[in-house]
This record gives sequence, C-alpha cells and structure tokens, in this order.
Amino acid sequence: MDEGRNGMIDAIYNWIDNRLALSKSGRHLLNKIFPDHWSFMIGEIALYSFIVLLISGIFLTLYFVPSEAIVTYHGAYKPLDGMRVSEAYASTINLTFAVRGGLFMRQLHHWAANIFVGSIVVHMLRVFFTGAFRRPREANWMIGATLLILAIFNGFLGYSIPDDLVSGTGIRIAFSILESIPFVGTNLAFFLFGGNYPGTDIIPRFFILHVLILPLIILGLLAGHLGMLVKHKHAQFKGRGARNDNVVGSPLWPNYAAKAGGFFFLTTGVTAILAALVQINPIWQYGPYVPYKVSYAVQPDWYMGWLDGALRVMPAWEIHLPGHMVPNVFFPGILLPGVTFTLIYLWPFIEAKFITHDYSEHHLLDQPRDNPLRTSIGAAVFAFYFVLFGASATDVLANYLQVSLNVVLWVFRISCIVIPIIVFPVAYKICLELQKTPDAGKRKRHVIIVRDPEGAYHSVESAEYVGYVAPELNPVDIEEVDLQPEIDALNTPKETPQDGIYQVPR
Amino acid sequence: MVEAVKRSLGKRLKALLKPNKKIAAPLVLAAAVVIPQLLFSASAGAGVLSHSETNRSKHYQSQMSQRAAAAAVGAKTPQLQEGRTLFDENCSSCHGVDAAGSKLGPSLHGLGAGVVNLWVSSGWMPLANPGAEPARKPALFDTSQTDAISQYVASLSKGGIPILYPDLKGADVAEGFSIFALNCAPCHTITGAGDALSNGLYAPPLHGLTSTQVAEAVRSGPNNMPVFSTGVVSKSQLKDLVAYVTGYIEHPDSPGGLGLGGVGPVAEGFIGLFAGVGLCLLVAFWIGDRTEKEDKSHSDEEVGVEKAHV
Repeated sequence: MDEGRNGMIDAIYNWIDNRLALSKSGRHLLNKIFPDHWSFMIGEIALYSFIVLLISGIFLTLYFVPSEAIVTYHGAYKPLDGMRVSEAYASTINLTFAVRGGLFMRQLHHWAANIFVGSIVVHMLRVFFTGAFRRPREANWMIGATLLILAIFNGFLGYSIPDDLVSGTGIRIAFSILESIPFVGTNLAFFLFGGNYPGTDIIPRFFILHVLILPLIILGLLAGHLGMLVKHKHAQFKGRGARNDNVVGSPLWPNYAAKAGGFFFLTTGVTAILAALVQINPIWQYGPYVPYKVSYAVQPDWYMGWLDGALRVMPAWEIHLPGHMVPNVFFPGILLPGVTFTLIYLWPFIEAKFITHDYSEHHLLDQPRDNPLRTSIGAAVFAFYFVLFGASATDVLANYLQVSLNVVLWVFRISCIVIPIIVFPVAYKICLELQKTPDAGKRKRHVIIVRDPEGAYHSVESAEYVGYVAPELNPVDIEEVDLQPEIDALNTPKETPQDGIYQVPR
Repeated sequence: MVEAVKRSLGKRLKALLKPNKKIAAPLVLAAAVVIPQLLFSASAGAGVLSHSETNRSKHYQSQMSQRAAAAAVGAKTPQLQEGRTLFDENCSSCHGVDAAGSKLGPSLHGLGAGVVNLWVSSGWMPLANPGAEPARKPALFDTSQTDAISQYVASLSKGGIPILYPDLKGADVAEGFSIFALNCAPCHTITGAGDALSNGLYAPPLHGLTSTQVAEAVRSGPNNMPVFSTGVVSKSQLKDLVAYVTGYIEHPDSPGGLGLGGVGPVAEGFIGLFAGVGLCLLVAFWIGDRTEKEDKSHSDEEVGVEKAHV
C-alpha cells in the first residue's frame, strides 16, 4: 500500500482507486457544468420527490399487507370497529392510527406523489417550449415521456391498493376501460385482473407492480435520463458567453452541489409541511371497498383527472361493427391517451420534418417566442388537456357555483373544442409581438431626467435597475482529464487468432 | 339548461336587489354570526343565532298573544294554541287556513308532525320570500315553537310520521357507517359533503344536523330524496345510521390536518399543484439565476451616456 500524506485514509483511497480508477471518472463528473437558470432546476424537484417517495414508501411497505383476505377490524376508529374488511384496508387503517408517525408517512408519500408527477409535467413543458428536445436530445425526451407515463400509472396503482371505497371505484373504471378495447379487451382485462372483477388478485398484483417492478423501471430510466444528461451536457440559454459548442455555468463540485443540496432539503420541507398540515386521502372516512356500494362525486388523483374528464365529457357514441361493438369508453379511455402519448413521443421528429426542417444539433435553447408555431401548438394542446382536467370536477364546480350539473358538462364539452381554437392564434400573436420587443420579460429600468447646462431636459434610461451588480462573467475552461489515449487503445483493431479467442489491451 | 342558469342567477339577483325587511334582518344577523362561526365552531355559532332568533320571536309572540288566544278557539291544548298562532302568522299565507293549501303552497294534510318539524327546524320553511327555492338557513323558531307548529298541523288530519327522537344509546356506528355507504353516499358522497346531481338537483351537505332531523329526513324523503321505509332501513338500523351521521360525518377529531371540505382528490390536486409544486418552483426561482442577469451587452453604451449627463 502507498502511504499518502494523510496516512491511512489516503492509503485506503489509493488502494481502491488503483483498482477502480475512481479519480478519473469522478473528476470528470464533478466538473460537470450546470448552467445557472432556475428553470433547469424543475426536473430536480421530480428527482427529489422521487427520493422522498422511495424512503416513505419503504416505511409504508413494512406495515401494509397486500391481501384481499377478509378480516374483522378492531381498532381505534369507532365507525369501522367490528367491520369485515380486506386485510389491505385493515392494515392501512392500522398503519394510519396505530403506528407512530404512520399517518404522517402516508400523507408524505401521497403528497410527494402529487408533487412528483406535477413537477414532471412542468419540467416537460419547460423542455418543450424551449426546444430542448431537439437533436441530440430526442431519445432523452422519449425517456422522459416514458417516465411520465410510469409515474402516472404507478400513482394510480399506489392510491388503489388501500382498497377503500373511492379507489375501488377507480379500479372498476380501469377494468371497464380495458374491457372496451376492441376484440381483445375482455380477455386482456381477465388476464390482468386474474378473472372477473373484483376477484382476489388485484391488490397483490397491483402491490408488486407498485413497490417493485415499476420503481425499478423508473430507477433504471432515471439513471439513463441523467446519464444522457451528463453525456450530452446541459443545454443553455443564449447570452453570458454561451455558444453552441460550450457550456457556461458553475461546476457540480462545489458550487452546484451546495445549491442542489439545499434545494433537496427545501423540496422535502415543502412536502413535509403539506404532509403535516393538510389531509390527503382520508380512507377511514371512505370505508372499505364493497362492489355494490358507491360514493357520488368520486374523482381520481389529479394526474388521472384529464382521463376522467374525457370520460365525463365524451358524448354517448359507440360504433357498431357487424358482430362487434366498440363501446363508448374506448375513445376517451384508450384512444385519447394512446394518441396523446404517441404524439408526445414523435414530436421531435414531427417538428423537424414538418415545421423547422432543421436536423442539426442544438445546445442553445429557444425562448418560446423564437418558434411561434411550436409554442402556439403546445399552448393549444395544453389548453385542451387543461380543460379536460377541469372537466373531472364537473360535479364539484356545479355544487360550488350552484348551477345545474348538465350546464357545467355542456360548458366543458364546448370549451374543450373552443378554448384551444382561441388559444392557438392568441399564443401565436403574442410570440410575434414579443419577438419585436427585445426587452420583454426583463425588469424595467429607471428613467433619469437630466437638465443640461443649456436648460434642456433629457430623459435617460439608467443602465441597470437600482441595487443590481452585474457579475463579471469570464468563463474559465475546466481542466479536463485526457481520456483519448485510453479510448484509442480500446479501439485498436483486434487480431483474430485462429482458434476464435479474442483479446483487448488493458 | 339556459332556464336553469337564468333561474339560478335570477334567484341571486332578486335576493340582492330586493332586500325587504323580512330577509334583511336575518341576513344581517347571519353575517354577524357566520364570521365568528367560521372562526370558531359551527355549533357555537348556531347556538348564538337560535338564541337571538328566539328573543325576537318571543317578543313578536307576546305582542300577538292576545289576538291569537281569541282566534285559537278550536285548539285544545296550550301547545296547539301556540302552534295555531304561529302557523297563522307565518305559514297560512301560502299553505292556507287550517293548512288546506292555496295557489301558493300545497296542503299539509296527511304529512304528520315529523315532516313539518323537519322543514321548519332546517330553515327550509318559511321561505325567504314566496316563490323562493327552499334553502337551508337558520331556523326561525326555537324547538318548542317548532314542535307547537308541527303538532298543530298534525292535529288537523290523520297519517304521516310523528316527530322522531331516536335513542342513540347502544347504537352501532360501524353498522351505521355501512348503511350510510350503501344508501346515502350515492348522493350525499361518502364524506357527507353533499354534491350537485343531474338536472339542477342537489344533495345537501349533512353537517350540523340533529338526530331528529336525520331520522325524519330518512323516513319522509324531503325534496328529491327518496323515502327509506322500515323495509329498507329498519328501526335499529336507523338508530345506527343517525348515530353515524350526527356523530361522525363532520369527522370532529379526524386526524391529518385540514380536511379541504371533504370533496376529495379535486381539492387535493389543487393544493398539490399550487401549494406543493408552486412553492418548489418559487424556491427554484429564489435560489436559481434569473434572465435579468443574462445579457447586459446592450447597456454598455448607455452607461457611458448616463455618466456624461450626471
């Protein structure tokens, strides 16, 4: 062992480094440059809430029993005492009332899930409207879209497994949506649910998907997402010396690590405050799921809201083929999300082929105004889904505004067509106007009125707003470790021995 | 559809633009009471209101008592006499003399004391003005006056349900919860928050009800609510149900923080997006860099200009 300056610690480090070459790759990673713009930190919210989800989820898994066996609940909550409920429901109630910190952990997990999906959507909007999905980042955009689907799906599984009255209704709807797929629907639904609804297999199956399979896939894709981020390096906004062939910002260590670390704690703090102060999914008020019982005004969690809204808004149309009927729920339940996510996946290629005709690499981001057509299409489509999202609350709105439910429903039916049609030209026009206004979005500066010796008045705009000290930007090159010789060595043509055994240099 | 909007808007406008004295007094009272009610507790606020209403009614009653005593010849007991007086003063203008009905309101014969008691104690009756929709508002009469009116109306005809006083001793709230989920939640929602049904119908929230009101509503089916007879909800089940609704529907010691009105994931999603994601975005905006710092190349000349002038 080499004894270093710091004795034993250096010696151990050197021993490891000699075998794993941590220093080289580590230095490369620590030198990664993060452009300092707040909107690049939205994805981090998702990352951090995912960590909160993992930690709180492990806690919940210790107490949750994924079983539909019927037990008699005896415990703290009187209106359930002596009721025959599934073991999944009983264990969730026990976890809530009888485990120290259990309710907090449940609420932390649920709020973190809401924030997780929400920040993914906002992150995706940022990436879309700044054109960050363009070459070379198309694949990473598709990984991101997959992560969104998995996050939504895992959220649905997660709020379904406590087996309460509200989520049970949601599973019933999911079963019917699966059944509505032409030709294969019934078989597929029976296959996935292990027989006819409700059966006894749903909760165990949902559980293993929710806590093991989907989180593993999400973790893997997340690693890929971040790996490609390191590989491609960050995209960046124009200005501050940023060019298409450099990255301007602060290095991961120590500057950005401090910022990101603080941000992790603040995100976790916001989630914890919500978990401590605001009730979410009070399943003891909902009672256990019994197929013949139903509560009025059941909505899914918000990230499924647009699908629920589409189900509500859809007129009662169905297609009658000879010998086969395509039921109404197929269109909002299967076709709409199918088309939606296909378009999301293909958008980078659609845009390059039909709108920009630009296949070159882009590392400098657009402002939304720079590409009016993309921005206005995005805004119109987003408006469409936002209206559908609102439509999932038709009954709550009708009750709150004391208007007939049917009126509210028709307002949404019309709005989901009319509002996107209005949003498109408005967004387009705003983009064009902003293009002609170079300082749009920037803070206004003071106007100073000066009198010159002749007595004439001049108004002069101050250079910067008061109190602002512009940082001098002199981007410094990061010291790079030259890995080229090793790569060359790896790529040297291999000799082919006669007996088919190969070798590469170390 | 358009009709419904018109009706609903018209109702509000009418109430706003035509403040006659009869509405104005309770409105002022209600405003004075609603604010502390929001701040403290529903039951305390309701107590204050019914107390001041009682004073007002008693005063009114004493003024009228002599004339009423003369009028109430047919009534046999003091309670029936009081009921007749109050009915003649407050109800007969629509429901007619001896509750036989008129162009403005239906006959009350055959309903029994229970139905009258429910409608008067819930504030549905008397209406805010003739032609208004019945709406929950603070009751105009105290318990004994309400009972008097109910017994008087019941004494005019046979049939109907009596005033119900369910004995909640030994009630099984778990059984009550189960019956609630089966029979009540399909309209009133499982949390009892109430909601809009189709075609302008609605199921009101079940908060702040007495056990008498709940039992009478179940048995009589007010407005568009169905009647649940003993064949559907037995006598002992009614007791369990009433115990659950009056004791637990407001979830008095429900843990976990703010309940968000019991309307479920819509409110939760709103908070999750705007408070949760919104706060995180603000934090990012706070600790990250903003565009203002981005580009100052164009301002270099103006710095020079400014210096030259100052």
